[in-house]
Amino acid sequence: MGEIIVVTSGKGGVGKTTTSANIGTGLASAGHKVVLVDTDIGLRNLDVVMGLENRIVYDLVDVTSGNCRLKQALIKDKRFTNLFLLPAAQTKDKTAVNPEQMAKLAQELKEEFDFAIIDCPAGIEQGFRNAIAGADRAVVVCTPEVSAVRDADRIIGLLEAAELRNPKLIINRIRPEMVKRGDMMDISDILDILAIDLIGVVPEDESIVISTNKGEPAVMDQGSKAGEAYRRITRRIKGEEVPLMALDVPVGIMDRLKRLVGLR
Amino acid sequence: MTRTEHLALKGTRDGLILYLDPAAEFGLLINELSQLLEKSVEFLKGAVIRCYAGKKEYTEDEHAVLAATLGQYQLELAGWLTEEEVYVPGKSQYAAVDKETRHLEDGMVEGSCLFVERTLRSGKSVQFEGHVVVLGDVNPGAEIIATGNIAVLGSLRGVAHAGATGDRKATVSAYHLAPTQLRIADLVTRAPDEEGRGPEIAKIKEDQLIVEAAGMSGWRGKTR
Repeated sequence: MGEIIVVTSGKGGVGKTTTSANIGTGLASAGHKVVLVDTDIGLRNLDVVMGLENRIVYDLVDVTSGNCRLKQALIKDKRFTNLFLLPAAQTKDKTAVNPEQMAKLAQELKEEFDFAIIDCPAGIEQGFRNAIAGADRAVVVCTPEVSAVRDADRIIGLLEAAELRNPKLIINRIRPEMVKRGDMMDISDILDILAIDLIGVVPEDESIVISTNKGEPAVMDQGSKAGEAYRRITRRIKGEEVPLMALDVPVGIMDRLKRLVGLR
Repeated sequence: MTRTEHLALKGTRDGLILYLDPAAEFGLLINELSQLLEKSVEFLKGAVIRCYAGKKEYTEDEHAVLAATLGQYQLELAGWLTEEEVYVPGKSQYAAVDKETRHLEDGMVEGSCLFVERTLRSGKSVQFEGHVVVLGDVNPGAEIIATGNIAVLGSLRGVAHAGATGDRKATVSAYHLAPTQLRIADLVTRAPDEEGRGPEIAKIKEDQLIVEAAGMSGWRGKTR
């Protein structure tokens, strides 16, 4: 029996889709049978990030409305034979699916897969309710911005109201040098407000933009810092205890001198 | 209140007080006291009584007789009151003034109360006719509207409106008071710019919404 994990945030553009793609790919590379489900009907992206856009024939709405069987709509990944994508419909909107249908679909996916990663749309309306309908666990993505933290807080409240207890937090796009200067919220500021378990911190990384455009998740890029962060998150999702990645700022010669003479 | 010709027994906020007529003869007083207690002994049993006789001083023997008389009726003589401690009509406003200020400081102390046993996250709104106590935080984007006081056992970062129906005696208190906006009755303010440390309480004083450290000296000044 598999597990359904919903990746959500409330606010748009914080990295839900990137996180879904990377966690899914990471779990698949560890040998698990994984399906990625895009529930952002009308604004689908996950297929693009995975580089699978040109293989879509059937989609989520076709499955829930009975136009096709689940197996027909699942797209096999380019890199891993144990990774699949269930894409969203682009020509419909969120009302094309209801939470009951999603809960039923989740049951079907659980029997087939070890993990189903559900990419939730931004917002708190029907798209969100659809996405969390069948979920067992939730991962909340948040960037170190006040607006994103506000929305994450609201989302956590809604998840708790929907009996999805103990959601886990991923802090995305953190810039250590800005935190150090005091220009960006740091991890403890965010945890102070949200008060949930942290499952990972992903640094801002240009390689994410590159990998997204190429359709190859950064988690497979050994040289990428963000990729390393996602590899650690993947292991934590499997239940391993992994320390947080050190987010050190490169130390300049002046800093070293100052430290040497005890100025800091 | 119960009285005889030379005695009066009054119940006050601080317990029972027996007033003795300083001009009366001691034997007469004891007789009257016995009669008085005979009538009301069941009601008074076990009480503690303090006595007042103006400037008159009784001998140790008389004191012992008085204590024994009271003792017969299971009453305990707890001591004598001085002139300052007793309210004498027309003589001093002391007691009355004291009562008035105490009442103001007490604010709203009674009434129905709602306990919220979790953190209020963004988008949550709690509205209640009475006092609200939150066992957790109130995050930005959450609001509490109460006709009475609001107390938060955690960080108050959202919006709080105490005394929402216009009661200016209402207060807002929190372990960490940093609200988005604070309202009491018809007054509105933003959070103070400097971060508060330790528990604080917001109230209205002379038409101003003020924030002061809550009276827990042990916590005050402790850095967070």
